[in-house]
Amino acid sequence: MFVLPDELAIDTAVARRVIGAFIRGQIQQAGFDRTVVGLSGGVDSALVAFLVAEAIGAERLLCVLMPYRTSSPASRGDAEEVVRRLGCASEVVDISPMVDGFFGRDGAAGAAGPEGLDASPLRRGNLMARMRMSTLYDRSVTWGGLVVGTGNKTESLIGYTTLFGDSACAFNPIGDLYKSQVRQVSADIGVPEAIIRKAPSADLWPGQTDETEAGFTYHDLDRLLFWRIDKRRSVDEMVAMGFDRATVERVDRMVATSEFKRQVPPIAKLGPRTAGVDYLYPRRRPGSARG
Amino acid sequence: MQPLRIALAQIAPRLGDLEANLARHHELLAEARADGAGLVVFPELGLTGYQLQDLAAEVAIRLDDPRLARFVAATGGISAVVSFVEESADHRLFIAAALVEDGEIRHVHRKVYLPTYGLFDERRFYAPGGVLRAAPSRLGVGVGLAVCEDFWHVSTPQLLALGGAQLLINVSSSPGRDLAATNEVGLGTATSWRTLMRTYAQLTTSFVVFCNRVGVDESISFWGGSEVIAPSGAALFSAPMFDEGLFSVDVDLADVRRERIALPLLRDERPELVVREWRRLVAERAGLAPDSTADVGAPSPHDDERRASADAGAVATEP
Repeated sequence: MFVLPDELAIDTAVARRVIGAFIRGQIQQAGFDRTVVGLSGGVDSALVAFLVAEAIGAERLLCVLMPYRTSSPASRGDAEEVVRRLGCASEVVDISPMVDGFFGRDGAAGAAGPEGLDASPLRRGNLMARMRMSTLYDRSVTWGGLVVGTGNKTESLIGYTTLFGDSACAFNPIGDLYKSQVRQVSADIGVPEAIIRKAPSADLWPGQTDETEAGFTYHDLDRLLFWRIDKRRSVDEMVAMGFDRATVERVDRMVATSEFKRQVPPIAKLGPRTAGVDYLYPRRRPGSARG
Repeated sequence: MQPLRIALAQIAPRLGDLEANLARHHELLAEARADGAGLVVFPELGLTGYQLQDLAAEVAIRLDDPRLARFVAATGGISAVVSFVEESADHRLFIAAALVEDGEIRHVHRKVYLPTYGLFDERRFYAPGGVLRAAPSRLGVGVGLAVCEDFWHVSTPQLLALGGAQLLINVSSSPGRDLAATNEVGLGTATSWRTLMRTYAQLTTSFVVFCNRVGVDESISFWGGSEVIAPSGAALFSAPMFDEGLFSVDVDLADVRRERIALPLLRDERPELVVREWRRLVAERAGLAPDSTADVGAPSPHDDERRASADAGAVATEP
C-alpha cells in the first residue's frame, strides 16, 4: 500500500490509545462533547475522522466537505466514502462563492479589485485554506463542536501549511505523526485503501501533488526529518548516512523559514506579566471549560 | 510471612482541582482499606495534577493545611503515600510526597531532582529538595520515598536502601513518549522505567513500588503501568498502561531478608570508598583540585603547566 521506513514504524495500538485519550481529554476539558473535522478526501483528515469516531463515537462528529469549483471530484468521492464508512454527520459547503467573491471570476473583479483576477496560486491557495478555516469555526458554533486539526508533522516542519488556515484548530491529534506514520495508523484503523494509496495533494489545481511540488517523496523527507530533528543528527552525519547534502540543507532552510508558523506570535514585553512569557497557565484548568 | 497488601491508585488527577482530587483520594483510601490493603500509594502530584505551571503557587499547601490534615486523619491503621505541592514557611514550592499513617505525617520527601529539559520545566516553578532519607514505618520496614525523576539518578535508590529502606516507593507523573515499534511494550518511556525498576530492586535487594498516573494534561499523556517489583528484580505486578484503576498486590516483606541473605549486596557496599571518590570529584569540579579526567586542553586553574603541555600535544598531532 505504501513503503514505511523501518525507523518510523510505531506501535499503532499504543498510538491509537494515546490519541483517543487525548481527544477525549481535550473536548471534556473544554466543556464540549462534539467535534468538527474538515474532510478533504486526503489521508490526514480521513485518519483524524476515524480517530475521533473511535475516541468519542461517530455520532459526535461532523465532517464538513469544502470543495472549490476546481477541486478534484475524486477527492470529493473519497471524502464521501469516509463519511459513509463512519456513519457520521456531514455537510458540503462550496467555498467557490467565498473565494471568487474576493478574487473575482471570469473577468469580473471581486472584493480584491481587478488585480485579484491575476492572483497567484499561492494567494488563491492561502485564501481557500482560510475560507475553509472560517467555515469550520462557524460550524464549531452551530454544531457545538471543537475544530480538530488535521495537519501532520511533516508538512508542519517544512511549513507546507497556511497560517491561520489549515493549521488553525482547537487541538491536533496527528501533529506529531510523520506522513508515513499517518499512513501506517490509517492502514491499521481502516481508512479506505484508495485514500492511503493515492498521491497526497493540496488540490489547489488539477494534477497538483505534494511530492512533485516539493521535489522529494514523503518516504525520503520523513526519514530525513526524523534523523535530523528527532534524532539530532548533524548535516555531516546525515551525509555519512547516505543523505544528499544539498537536499538536507534545502530541508533545513524550509524548517527554519517556517518556524513562525509553528509558534504563537510574540507579544512585545511591557508589563509585569505577559502571556506566554511569564504568565504561564495550562489552557485547561478549573473554570476554563465552557459553562 | 509478613504479608502486605499494596494498593496502587493509578488515577488521572484533575489539573489544578485540589478539592476534587482530595475527594477522590478519600474514596480510594476507603476502598483500599475495605479491600484489606496496608499501604495505598497515590501518584506524583495526585492532589493537583502535573502540568501546573503558574497554578503551582495557587494550589500549594502547607503541611498543616486543614484539607491535608483531614486526609491524614483518615489513615488510622493504614499507610498512604500522597503527593502535592508543598509550600514551606519561607514560601518555596516543592513537589512533595508524604508517608502518612495512623493519623500522622510520618515523613515528607521533597523531590530532589527536578527535570528541566526536553518537555520538562520543573526547576522554573519549584525548589529542589535537599534531603534523601528513609523513614521507619508502621509496616515494620523502612520506607524510602522518591518522586519520578529522583529515580533517574542511581544514587537515590542506593542511598535510600543503605539508609534503611526495604520498600522503595517511587510516585510518578511520567509522560509517555517514543512509540517506536521496536520498544518492548510499544512505549519507550515504559521500557526505560521497567528496566530501571527491575535493576534497582535487584541491586538494592528491596521491594520497588512504582505508582504512575494516567490521563492527559495539555499535550502530554501519562502512561500508568504502575508496578511492584520483588527484591529479586522479578515483577510481581504490572498494571495496564493508560487505564485508571486501584490495583492490589500482595507481597511478603520477608522476601527482603531472604534475598539479602542470599545476595548480600548491601552488606558489601563500600560507602567509605564511595564517599572518598565523591569528595575527590566534588573538589575537582569546584576547581579545588586538578581535574583528573579533563579533556585535553580543558581549562584547569590549578594545572596550568599540564594544560600547556596538553595544548602543545594537541598541536603536534595535527597533520
